[in-house]
Amino acid sequence: MNNAKSMVARNKREIATAAAVFLAPALIVIAVFIIYPIIQSFITSTYDWNGYSAGKAFVGLKNWAALMKDKEFWHAFKNNILVMVLSIVLQMPIGLALATYLNNRKGRGSQVCKVIWFLPMLMSSVAIGYLFRYALDPSTGFVTAISKMLGGGKVDLLGNPSYVLITVIFIIAWQFTPFYMVYYMAGYGGISGDIHEAAMIDGATENQYFWNIALPLLKPSIKSAIVLSMVGSLKYFDLVYVMTGGGPGNSSELMATYMYSQAFESYRMGYASAVASGMFILISIIAIVTMRLLNGKED
Amino acid sequence: MTKKKVLPVILAAAMALSMTACGSSSKPAESADAKAEGAAASGDKIDLTLWHIQTGATAEIVQQSAERFMADNPQYNVTVVQKQNDSYKTDLSLAINAGTMPDVFLTWGGQTLYDYIDEGLVCDLTEYMNADNYKDNYLDAAVEQCTYNDSIYAVPIENVSVAGFFYNKEVFEQYNLEEPKTIAELEKVCDTLVENGISPFALANATKWTGSMYYQYLATRFGGLEPFAAAAAGDGSFEDEAFVYAGEKIQEWVEKGYFCEGFNGMDDDSGQARMLFFNGDAAMDLMGSWFVSNVADESTMLEDDTLGFFPFPELETSDANQTYTLGTLGDNLYSVSAKCADTEGAFKLITYLLDDEAVAARKAQGKIIPLKDFEADNDVVNEILDTLGGAAGVQLWYDQYLPSEVAEVHKSTSQEIFGLTKTPQDANAEMQKAIDTYLGK
Amino acid sequence: MAGTKKGFKLSSVIIGILVAFWFAVCLVPFVFMLMCTLKTQKEIMKFGVFSLPQSFFLDNYIEVFSGNIWRYFFNSVIVMIVSLVLLLLFSAFAAYPLSRWKFRLNKPIYALIVACMSVPIHVTLLPLFMMTIKTGLYDSIWALIGPYVAFNLPISVFILTTFMAGVPKDLEEAAGIDGCGRYGIFWKIMLPLAKPGLSTLLIYNGVNIWNEFSFALTLTQTSVNRTLPLAVNEFQGQYAMNIPMIMTVLFVSILPMVLVYIFAKDKLIEGMMAGAVKG
Repeated sequence: MNNAKSMVARNKREIATAAAVFLAPALIVIAVFIIYPIIQSFITSTYDWNGYSAGKAFVGLKNWAALMKDKEFWHAFKNNILVMVLSIVLQMPIGLALATYLNNRKGRGSQVCKVIWFLPMLMSSVAIGYLFRYALDPSTGFVTAISKMLGGGKVDLLGNPSYVLITVIFIIAWQFTPFYMVYYMAGYGGISGDIHEAAMIDGATENQYFWNIALPLLKPSIKSAIVLSMVGSLKYFDLVYVMTGGGPGNSSELMATYMYSQAFESYRMGYASAVASGMFILISIIAIVTMRLLNGKED
Repeated sequence: MTKKKVLPVILAAAMALSMTACGSSSKPAESADAKAEGAAASGDKIDLTLWHIQTGATAEIVQQSAERFMADNPQYNVTVVQKQNDSYKTDLSLAINAGTMPDVFLTWGGQTLYDYIDEGLVCDLTEYMNADNYKDNYLDAAVEQCTYNDSIYAVPIENVSVAGFFYNKEVFEQYNLEEPKTIAELEKVCDTLVENGISPFALANATKWTGSMYYQYLATRFGGLEPFAAAAAGDGSFEDEAFVYAGEKIQEWVEKGYFCEGFNGMDDDSGQARMLFFNGDAAMDLMGSWFVSNVADESTMLEDDTLGFFPFPELETSDANQTYTLGTLGDNLYSVSAKCADTEGAFKLITYLLDDEAVAARKAQGKIIPLKDFEADNDVVNEILDTLGGAAGVQLWYDQYLPSEVAEVHKSTSQEIFGLTKTPQDANAEMQKAIDTYLGK
Repeated sequence: MAGTKKGFKLSSVIIGILVAFWFAVCLVPFVFMLMCTLKTQKEIMKFGVFSLPQSFFLDNYIEVFSGNIWRYFFNSVIVMIVSLVLLLLFSAFAAYPLSRWKFRLNKPIYALIVACMSVPIHVTLLPLFMMTIKTGLYDSIWALIGPYVAFNLPISVFILTTFMAGVPKDLEEAAGIDGCGRYGIFWKIMLPLAKPGLSTLLIYNGVNIWNEFSFALTLTQTSVNRTLPLAVNEFQGQYAMNIPMIMTVLFVSILPMVLVYIFAKDKLIEGMMAGAVKG
C-alpha cells in the first residue's frame, strides 16, 4: 500500500517537473512581453499623465471611477458585443460551409477556389480599407451604382450612424472567413477518411453524413473557433480605425479604438491605461465564462 | 494609420498667441547651452539626428539640405529620419520617454510646443535667431508663433496656409455665378447649384477637421477672434452666441443639401471629396492653400485654368472685423532638443533647410514658405497670398490651438453637428465641459 | 424517388451559384487592387478606382522596385522565419502538457494563456518600446521577434491544445509501453499528430506577422531596419496620399504570400489531412 502511494506521489512530481519544462519557454515569453506590460498599464491607470511629461500625478482610482461612468466606453463595449455576435453568426457558418465544400474535393476547380477564397485573409487591412471606402463612396461607389441601376438613389453606408457599424462588420466577416475556412478544413483533416467511406457504404447521403457524423466530430473545432472569434471581436481594431476612425460621432467606436484615441490622440495615457486594463478584465471574463459553458458537460 | 488625426497645420496671429500664452501656466525652460560646449570640444564627429515628416520630392529636398550642411561642416554627421505624419506625435512622445529625443525635430506649434517648452525639452533659440538679424528673413507673425514667454523656440520652415473657398470656374460659368462677397450671396449661389443638381460644397468629413473649418470660419465671422480666444483661456464660453450661430448655420446648410451626399463617411486624405470637385459634381471646396498642390498632382485643373479661389464671405450683419482668415504662417516649426550636445550646430542645420537652393526647390513645387521676400509663380497662389496680406489677423486652427484632449472633443462634436446627431447647444456644452475639465487640473 | 432526384439537382444549382458568388466576392477586390497599381494618381481621381486602366502603366512598379523594397523584403523574411519557428515550437511545447496531463496548475495556466489572448496590443507599445531601448534592441529587426512570438503565442497554444486533446489516448499509452519517455512521446507521437493544427497556425501566424504594422512602426526607425508593411510610409503625405503607389507597395508586399500559399497549399492541406489517424 505504502509503496503504491509513493509511486503515485513520485509520478505526480515527475509530471509536474516535465510540465514545467514544457511550459517554461511559452510562459517566459508571455511574462516578459504580455504580463509585464499589462502590469505597467494597471500601474499607469492610477496616474494622471499625458504620455511625455516627467511628472505624473498619482490619482488612485479616479480613472477607474471615471471609466465606470464613461458612457462612451460602455457604448463602445456594446458595439463590441454587436461585432462579436454578428461575427460568430456570419463567419462560423460561411467558414464551415466553404470547408465542407472543399473537403474531399480534388478537382482543379476546387484547387482554384482554395486559393481565391483565401485571398481576403492575405490582403492587408490598409488595402481593404481603401478599396471598400471607394466601393462604398456615396457618389462614385459600387453600391450606389448598383442602386442606381435598380432605380434607387445614392447609398450612404459609412456616413450614416445607423448603418456604419453593420457595414464594417460585414467587411470584417469577409476578411476573416477564410481563416475559419482553413481552420475547419484542418478539423476535417482530423476525421478519418474511413469514417466517411463506412458511412457511404452504409447508404448515408452526403447530407446525412454531414449532419449526423461530421458535425458532431467537428464540435471541438467549432467550440474553439467560437472562442477565437469572440476574443478577436472584442479587441478588434484595424478596419474600424482605417475606415471610420470610430465615427461618425462615436457610432462605430470600439473599445480598442477608444483606447487608442485616448492614448495617442488626446494624450490621456493614464485614462487610456484604465480603458485598456478594463478591456483586458472584461474580455478575459467573457472568454473564460464562455469556455466554461461550452465545455461544461465534458468536465 | 491612414487618418490624419492631427491637423498638421497651425496658425497663430500675434493676438491669438498672446492669449494662449496667458492661458497656460509657464515655468522657465531649462537652458541647455552649457552642455553644448563640452561635446563640441571633442575631436570626433558630432552626431545630429533630424526628424521630419515630408514625403516624395520634399523629403528629397530635406535630405539634400542635410548633405549640403555636412559638406560645408564636415565635423558633423547628420542622420535624417523620415517619420510618418500620422504617428509622428506618438513617436516623439515615446522618444521623450525613453530619453532618445532627436536633436532636431518639428512641431506644429500651439499648445503641444508650449507643453514641451514647459517640460524643459526645447532649447531657447533666441540668441541664434537674433544673430545677424537672421529672424528678419521670416514673416514677423511666423516668428511670433514660434515665440513663447518672449523667447524664440523654433524656426518655421514649411507651408504657409490660408483656408478659403476653391471653386470650379467651369461650373460657375455654366450657371452664371459670381464669386460671392457675403454669406447671403454664398447662399444664393448654393441655392442655384442645388436647383441644378450640383452639390455646392465638396466635403469629406470622416476626416473631421475638414468640416470643422466651416465651424471655425462661421464663428470667426460672427464674433471675430475674441470669443474663441476667451473660451479657450477659460475667460469666455464655448456656449457663446458665435458658436451657436456657427452650429446652427451648418445644420441649416446641411438640411438644404449644400454638402455632398454622405460627407460624414468620406475621407479627405484619399481624395473622395476632391474627386467630386475635379469632375464638377461639386462646385466648391473649403480648404487650406495646400489644396493647390493636390490639384496639381491629381487633376488637370491648373493647366485648364478652371481653378478659382475666393476668401470666406463676409457676414454683413456682424460688427466684427470681416477680414480675419483661418490659416497658418508656416507649419513644421523646427526646434532643437534640450538634450542636444551642440545647439549651435543643430541650429545651423535648421538654417540649411531654407537656404537658397532649398527655397528654390520648394518654390518649384508650388509651396508657400514663411519668408518675407517670397513670391509665388502661380496665379491662384498669389491670390491666396493677397488674402493673407489684407487680413487683420489670423485665427489659429482650433485643433492645434487647443490642448489635444479638448481638440479631440471639438472635432468629434463638430462632426456630430454636421451629422445632425447633436444640437449645436449640446455640442457647445460638451466643449465647455471639456475645457473646464482641462483647466481645472 | 424522382422527386428527390430533382431536388438534388436544384440544390446543386444553388450550391453552384453560391460557390460562384463567393468566388467573385473574394476575387473582385483583389482585381481592383491590381488595377489600381496600373494607374496614375490623376487617372484614379478622374475615372475612379473601378474603371479599367487607360494604358499599361508600369511606372509605379518601377518606382517601388528602385526604392528600398528589397531590403524591407529581406528583413520581413528573416523576421517571419525566426518568429514562426520559435512560435510553433513554444506553442507545441506548451500545448502538450496542457492537453494531455493532469497536474494542479493546468487549469490556471490555461486560463492565464486564454486571458492573454484578450490583451489589446496598443497598450503594450509604450512599455515594450522602453524595453527595447533599454536592451539595446531598438531599431533592429530583432526587436520585433519577441513581441511577434509573444502576441501570437496565446492563440496558438489555444488552437494546438484543442488539436492535441483530440489525439486518442491509446496511441500515447502504446508508445509509453514501447519505452518512450514523455519527451520521446512528444517528438515521436504528438508533434507529427498535431500537424493539421501546426499547418493552420503556420498560415494564420505567417500572414499576421507578414502584415504586422504597429510594432514594426514603433520599434524600428531607420529604413534599413524596417519591414515591408512600412514601405507605404513613403507615400502617405501630410495632406494627401498617393493611392496608386500605396496600392502598388501593398500589392507587391502581399504577392510573396500569395505565391507561397499557392505553391505550399497542397503540402499544407496534406499536413492537415495527415491528422486523420488510421486504425
